[in-house]
Amino acid sequence: MAHVSDRAQNLTLLLSSMFFYGWADLRFLGLLCVSAATNYGLGIAIEDSRTDSRRRLWLWCGITFNFGLLAYFKYFGFFYESVVGLLNQFGGQHDQLALKIALPLGISFFTFQVAGYLIDIFNGTIEVCRRPLHFFTYVFHFPKLLSGPVERAQQFLPRIATLRTFDSNLVTDGARQVLWGYFSKSVIADNLAILVDDVYADIPGSSGSTLFFAAMLYFIQLYADFSGYSNMAIGFSKMLGLPLTINFQGPLFVTNISEFWRKWHISLTSWMMDHVFTPISFLLRDKGQAGSMIAIFVTFLAVGIWHGAN
Amino acid sequence: MVDGAETPLVHMERDLITSKIQMTLIAVLGHGRFELHDDLTASDVEGWDSLTHMSIITGLEKEFDVKFKLREINKLRNMGTLIELISAKLA
Repeated sequence: MAHVSDRAQNLTLLLSSMFFYGWADLRFLGLLCVSAATNYGLGIAIEDSRTDSRRRLWLWCGITFNFGLLAYFKYFGFFYESVVGLLNQFGGQHDQLALKIALPLGISFFTFQVAGYLIDIFNGTIEVCRRPLHFFTYVFHFPKLLSGPVERAQQFLPRIATLRTFDSNLVTDGARQVLWGYFSKSVIADNLAILVDDVYADIPGSSGSTLFFAAMLYFIQLYADFSGYSNMAIGFSKMLGLPLTINFQGPLFVTNISEFWRKWHISLTSWMMDHVFTPISFLLRDKGQAGSMIAIFVTFLAVGIWHGAN
Repeated sequence: MVDGAETPLVHMERDLITSKIQMTLIAVLGHGRFELHDDLTASDVEGWDSLTHMSIITGLEKEFDVKFKLREINKLRNMGTLIELISAKLA
């Protein structure tokens, strides 16, 4: 029996993921390569810095690079159009340039993963990855690349450092999860969308109770849609022997709002918790309740911005 | 045994730290329905969530007259690591 090494497995996974991502647009593939290489280097730079100020400097280089990239691709067009629109309202004659910045697929997801990786190295909660193949496989891993989960390096990197062997139980379980996810997305969400879109297409002509009902259905649609995607991603990855973070844990069946946030889009919420909420509430910990309120506000503002400018 | 004489002292210090942590937790959470042991985590204790977490941290800082760093807080995994952190700060 021919022996397969974990290196060969990772290389196959990386090349397939690159092919998958490059299929949409080769320029995006180039961008993701630059992002992955830069963050790989920055991680080592943070870890190997002798002084705290140098570590901090590299971290801020990383934050600026990652969120600068995200801001450019995701928000520049929106702000540009808003500013020109505003100027024209006040009598300006500014033409809207045909400013079309193509949005690289999954940019919010991969940006948060690599930015979180750098912050975690800075905080000393994870070890730096010194194997380019591992790091690139982590960033490019195709099931989670487009819509998450926002997979944390400390969970994923140890898994690809070991050889995966075929496990029929895991494959069956993964396939089942993919099927359930596909059902959730294409049967539940897409059919609810027909009802919801009909109502939303004629808001003035719909009664209050119809709108209320449609809003409730939209919430279920959103849940079935997104958790469906997540289940498919997690299922495919599981079939490859690499289980990902659970992203939804029945968030519609909870009894209070804080439990809801612990069970809805768990990978993003826990990222926000560790990298936004905790640092801010720690900084303002002497301010009592006001500190907590500011931390909550900023965290939800960040969640809102993450979801898009408009 | 070289450190035989020190062991009871270390134990006493650890017991003192543990009981002070217990008092702080009761003061912040408003109940004592938990048993303090090294493997205890926040999710095992009713009411110890992300919002009360910082109040507990602030309470412990006041109780022990120490200052934590964010990096230290991030590394805490359970009660055992918290006790170790505090005793290292007091040493």
